[in-house]
Amino acid sequence: MPFTNDPLDLDSLPALEQAPLTPVSPRLAPCQAVSLLGRWALVTLLVLFFPVQHEAAAEWQLVAATAVALVGLAAVGLGWVEARRRAYGVREHDLIYRRGLLVRRTQVLPLVRLQHVETLSNPVERAFGLVRLACFTAGGRGADLLLEGLPASRAEAVKQHLLARLEGTSPSSSEAP
Amino acid sequence: MNPPGPETADARLARWQRLSPWAVGLLLITSGLSLIRQHLPLLLGAGAGLALVERVGLRELALGGALLLLLAVLLSLLYYRRFRFRLEGEVLVIQKGLFEHREFKVSAAHVQHIAVHQPAYMRPFGVVQWQLETLAGEASRIELPGIRREIAEALGRRLRGASDAAQQAAAEDAGEADEAPRVRFAITPGALALHGLTSRSVYVVAAMLSPLVQPLERWVHDHLPHLDLRAWLPASAPLAVALGILAVVAALALLSVLAAWWRFHGYVLRDEGDRQVQVSGLFHRQEQVLTLSRLQVVEWVQTGLGRLLGRGYLVCHQFGALGGGEAAEARRFLVPGLSSAQGRELSAVLWPGLSMRQPLARVTRLYRRVLFWRLLLGLAAALLGLGALVGPASLAPMTWGLLAAGLLPLAAGLAQLRWLALGWAREGDYLRVRQGLWGQRTSLFPLRSLVSASVQQSWLQRRRGVATLRLHLANGRVTLPFLACDDAYALANRLLASVEADQAA
Repeated sequence: MPFTNDPLDLDSLPALEQAPLTPVSPRLAPCQAVSLLGRWALVTLLVLFFPVQHEAAAEWQLVAATAVALVGLAAVGLGWVEARRRAYGVREHDLIYRRGLLVRRTQVLPLVRLQHVETLSNPVERAFGLVRLACFTAGGRGADLLLEGLPASRAEAVKQHLLARLEGTSPSSSEAP
Repeated sequence: MNPPGPETADARLARWQRLSPWAVGLLLITSGLSLIRQHLPLLLGAGAGLALVERVGLRELALGGALLLLLAVLLSLLYYRRFRFRLEGEVLVIQKGLFEHREFKVSAAHVQHIAVHQPAYMRPFGVVQWQLETLAGEASRIELPGIRREIAEALGRRLRGASDAAQQAAAEDAGEADEAPRVRFAITPGALALHGLTSRSVYVVAAMLSPLVQPLERWVHDHLPHLDLRAWLPASAPLAVALGILAVVAALALLSVLAAWWRFHGYVLRDEGDRQVQVSGLFHRQEQVLTLSRLQVVEWVQTGLGRLLGRGYLVCHQFGALGGGEAAEARRFLVPGLSSAQGRELSAVLWPGLSMRQPLARVTRLYRRVLFWRLLLGLAAALLGLGALVGPASLAPMTWGLLAAGLLPLAAGLAQLRWLALGWAREGDYLRVRQGLWGQRTSLFPLRSLVSASVQQSWLQRRRGVATLRLHLANGRVTLPFLACDDAYALANRLLASVEADQAA
């Protein structure tokens, strides 16, 4: 096959910043809130009931626990707002996931790099009907892209589309959701 | 009818093969050395070994050791009996397992890296350790711990041959004659010594020896009390400290040069078309093969001393080379003892068309300001910590004032140097990114080597129209902080388009 090296028209490249993104499920916010509440409640209880030997320190235990609980509530509030702003996009050749409130991060995974796909869900996520989609590439130690907050049916559709790409079938034969 | 001749190694591979019978003893030696290497600091550190001998008794300990050795011999024999391998067409099949039987199948198409090791104690028997990595990286490493050299060579030839067949056919179609392998780089004794001095192995040596310092000190104190070491020291305390530091640095430098000789003695890099083969090692001979079509990233590494002496080394990364630190780096395909010109020349061989002459672009000046504030805050916190530790009265107010005033120019100078050190350039289809203040690491990779990309913006960055671009590559992450937002997105779009264009081709 003759080697070609044609220059790319930079103005005609698909622009990542203009890619249309779909918000994740609105149920992700309460799901995140429940998970975060559970974690922070555990930390608060630990601080409250930790056996402190020093009497002076023990007097401050309730104050410390209240402070931890307030920080936890703030984290839950921020988590709620952040979850409502998450979005994802499936393009013909890549998968995009945007997350973050103060620090916004847009991650792009070209589909040719995909090696395998997994769906995961913990009991809280199952209660809200949500699924995580983990995408792995060659040589990586963990998931290279973790798409959280997809409804189970949508996650399955995205997974099937990605698997179809992995198997080398025509992308047009499996419609991107 | 001709009598059947001796069966070739290639033909033998079609049948089940066992490890070499010598492998039993060699397995014991290899495992024993590995155990000693891993647990030596634990045994010697803080006198734990001596305490164990005193508590258990020398005779009981020897008896326990003999029993353990017997058990190890029996287990090695069982391991040898259970271990077998063969080639089924283009698939290597390995069956092994002491208590749990396992079968591995590796297709030639997925082989990324093959290495052959021959420690000194294996040489008289003509036995080698053979290792294979797939595209999944180091975690997928499969080892044949003791096979005859001709079997290892045949195995490598067959597995590589299958994946290269298409390329060879294309080369033949194009009328290209087979070129004899030629030596691309051979290290000289001077370059080897300089590599030892300027490589990071000095830190590895220091980390390995640090647990032995205390036991050595105790041993000298207990067994050589007549050596009055204090009498040897000069009367002046600063001079004694300076001499001590000098002695430690000289000892570490000597050890790292010896380590370089151990690892890279007789280093030769041969160019065999799509394959680069390197052979090195003083006692432990090691042969590594790098397939250029599997190459993802090349790093040009210069330590601080290396930059002063104009020396560095190249590290070639394939998939799965994440993390592992300096010790892991030594196991990779590393070309040592290069001058800057040789580094450029060899990079152009590995990445045709890359000249490394294009000046590097800098990120926005906002990054320098952010670095300045970060450094100033860090240094101020360190000064406050020092004040709390030694007490405000330990130094004169004037000295504290001078120290505080010195933080400003120090933070500004360091921020400026770090900003200057970070640079990037796109040369045709390649990207070059340099990072590091004192020691520098320049990643050279084709745009198509991108695994994934992310664009990150904090609220400050959004207000100022800048973004941080993180490129995930086969060997880890390369970060370009505080790029102009348009540049960051344009570069990300170009990289993503190159990945797709490469796949389509």
